[in-house]
Amino acid sequence: MLKTVRLLFSKTGRARFISHLDLNRTMTRAVRRAGIPLWYTEGFNRHPYLTFPAPLSLGYEGLAEIMEIRLEEDMPSDELVSKLQAVMPEGLCVFEAFEAQRKAGELKSAAYTLHFTCPADPVRELLAQPSIFVEKFSKKKVLKTVDIAPAFAGAVVEDVENGCKMTVTLPCGGEGTVNPSLFVTALKQKLGEDIPCHVVRTALFDPDGCPFR
Amino acid sequence: MALDMEHLLLQVQKPARYSGGELGSVMKDKKDVFIRFAFCFPDLYEVGMSHLGMKILYGLYNREEDTWCERVFAPDADMEQKMRENDIPLFGLESRDPIKDFDFIGFTLQYEMCYTTLLHMLDLAKVPLLSAERDEQYPLVIAGGPCACNPEPLADFIDIFILGEGEEVNIELNNLYREHKKRGYVKRDFLLDAAKIEGVYVPSLYDVTYLSDGRIEAITPRDTAPKKVRKRIIKDLDKAYYPETFVVPFTDIVHDRAMSEIFRGCIRGCRFCQAGFIYRPVREKSPETIDRQSHALCQSTGYEEFSLTSLSTSDYSRLEQLLPQLLEWAEKEQVNISLPSLRVDGFSEELAKRLNVLRRSGLTFAPEAGTQRLRDAINKNLTETEILETARRAFSGGWNAVKLYFMNGLPTETKEDIRGIAELGHKVVDEFYHLSDRPRGKGVTVSISVSCFVPKPFTPFQWEPQDTMEQLQEKQKYLLSEIKTRKISLSWHDAKVSFLEAVLARGDRRLGAVLLEAFRRGFNLDAWSEHFDFDAWMDIFDSLGLDPAFYANRRREKDEVFPWDHLDYGVSKAFLWKENQKAHESHTTPNCREHCSGCGAACFKGGICVEDGQTVVQ
Ligand code: SF4
Repeated sequence: MLKTVRLLFSKTGRARFISHLDLNRTMTRAVRRAGIPLWYTEGFNRHPYLTFPAPLSLGYEGLAEIMEIRLEEDMPSDELVSKLQAVMPEGLCVFEAFEAQRKAGELKSAAYTLHFTCPADPVRELLAQPSIFVEKFSKKKVLKTVDIAPAFAGAVVEDVENGCKMTVTLPCGGEGTVNPSLFVTALKQKLGEDIPCHVVRTALFDPDGCPFR
Repeated sequence: MALDMEHLLLQVQKPARYSGGELGSVMKDKKDVFIRFAFCFPDLYEVGMSHLGMKILYGLYNREEDTWCERVFAPDADMEQKMRENDIPLFGLESRDPIKDFDFIGFTLQYEMCYTTLLHMLDLAKVPLLSAERDEQYPLVIAGGPCACNPEPLADFIDIFILGEGEEVNIELNNLYREHKKRGYVKRDFLLDAAKIEGVYVPSLYDVTYLSDGRIEAITPRDTAPKKVRKRIIKDLDKAYYPETFVVPFTDIVHDRAMSEIFRGCIRGCRFCQAGFIYRPVREKSPETIDRQSHALCQSTGYEEFSLTSLSTSDYSRLEQLLPQLLEWAEKEQVNISLPSLRVDGFSEELAKRLNVLRRSGLTFAPEAGTQRLRDAINKNLTETEILETARRAFSGGWNAVKLYFMNGLPTETKEDIRGIAELGHKVVDEFYHLSDRPRGKGVTVSISVSCFVPKPFTPFQWEPQDTMEQLQEKQKYLLSEIKTRKISLSWHDAKVSFLEAVLARGDRRLGAVLLEAFRRGFNLDAWSEHFDFDAWMDIFDSLGLDPAFYANRRREKDEVFPWDHLDYGVSKAFLWKENQKAHESHTTPNCREHCSGCGAACFKGGICVEDGQTVVQ
């Protein structure tokens, strides 16, 4: 069985506008440029093994995102990182490589910071409500109303220059995912206007609350 | 509150089209930059980013240390709305600076239907549309590309047209501008100086007078402008600049692959094809150069596919040498080679298989006309036997779909020629069912796609009338009635779009007013059918008292002065007229490799005209 290698990378600045689908293509090409011997699936339509256990929404920045690849032959981690880093486009930065320890399905949660261009008060008020209802599409593409108050119970809000900042850890992975955009939607409902919000995913965790590896 | 760019990009579709930052995009420090160049493609990112010429010039300009060339595309409707709402003028993707502050705005003109988009982009950039209204505080607006061979409809808007291939002349122009800018740029002085460079056409230095019936009386140069402006070519493609890397887009584009140009020009001389004449003479790159450039590009971009580009891949004289050479590394590195416009018939089974020729492109033919008589008249050398034999081979190999491309409205076309299209389709279908080893359990599909002939400048058909839309629609109906089986599917181009293309392709300066009015009425992205409003266009012609049929449907006299007569693409008017006459007699002309016909392109002293030492000088 081939080893699965996980790479930690950040996706910031202009690179946050790369969609998930496009990121796959972008990374595949980067790995090819780096001359890293990717393992290709067998069969008629061969494609390289390269996946992302926790896709990041378009527009979000990510500080410690994970990409998985399989290689034809082993390569020392630091060589892998330096080769890849040399061919990355602006805003994508690979900084660590290691052999996969947990199964991808064991990914549990993710930490986010949300920068709102509005004062902290309305954000705090919304968080203080016993339930926060928003509509979202389920996996089967039906619109349903969900209460996101429990997921956001641990959120911390502070005032910053030009607005406020929320820090929150949300479910992310096989057992369910809560996208922070749901809160942005709820805030829009409450205030009746769009509040520009900049979302950064800062970490991915396993069930023990340790960085997912 | 005005949104900043970052938030704005979150509110539009496919923001990676506007974000910049792709691998291979060039960033420079503004304090080291003396000349800013905005390379504009008047269409969406997906289309423009697929264009090889832009990649070449982008790399070429950025090789100049003090020059920063950035890319600009037409924003889609949602992005444009956001830009206007937030008062963001059109910007360069790299720096996000407004291009109105640049030194040059350069457009490439690939098809006539982009003209309104061009004006729209200038407006979005907050640059006055009319050349005469742009003084020294605005950028120079220049344009090149195939449509520059008759740029007259755009003459009021563009300061400088570049004729022919840009690798040398663009840099010469840039050098001249640098000198002028150093000593204080004065637009008029610069234009006069620029017009001395071969390949540089400054439309404001020419007066056009008209006869009372609307035809041109004379085109007269002013001041020191040359009487005729000759296009430029690159004589030796092995020595010419070619980019070592491309900008690799994040988002999907039309042709998302590396591209290697294998030759320029075409030996064939199909009489309807403008490219076959304006890019003469044929000049090939050596297999070594192609191999080196292709490999370097794939390695620097990470592309998993590259295509060999030219007007007709099969005509590359050393294909049998080149392909195995390319395959050697391509197979190892999991790179696919795509071969557009390839004739499958000349290939060995083994090579065809290794190249996956059919899987990638499917089986397509472009007979253009339905009978041998008409194919002779248009000088298209492809016989029915060749088509049927290749189809048979492909069917035996498990294929069951064929695409055939034709044109309606070609000069001398009769009912019989149209019936011939249907008959050829039926023969391909029959070929399938006569075959004992055809793919089992599958039917055959033959897709016939029919476009409308558009007469173009610098072709033997530049004198010919285009069929009226009614005639074309009649012909389409007739063809449909001749198709007797559901195995054949038929599709056509919109005759209305082709009509407008015909008007603009052979138009004169008076059409500038039409374009300006079209702009005022908000026309944009007319190359996209959902944006194209034919009746509104006709209304504009009406309101300005211009008859579009004068441009599209009129037969010209042999000696009529054409709007492009002061532009010289090497190929002589006398040669084109001779070709026209031969077309009416259904006589073919040999290709440049068989025999030189003395077209006039030998004046460039390059390529096939000098290699074979057989050029007829006239
Ligand atoms: S001069 Fe002769 S060889 Fe050269 S392009 Fe013309 S026809 Fe071909």
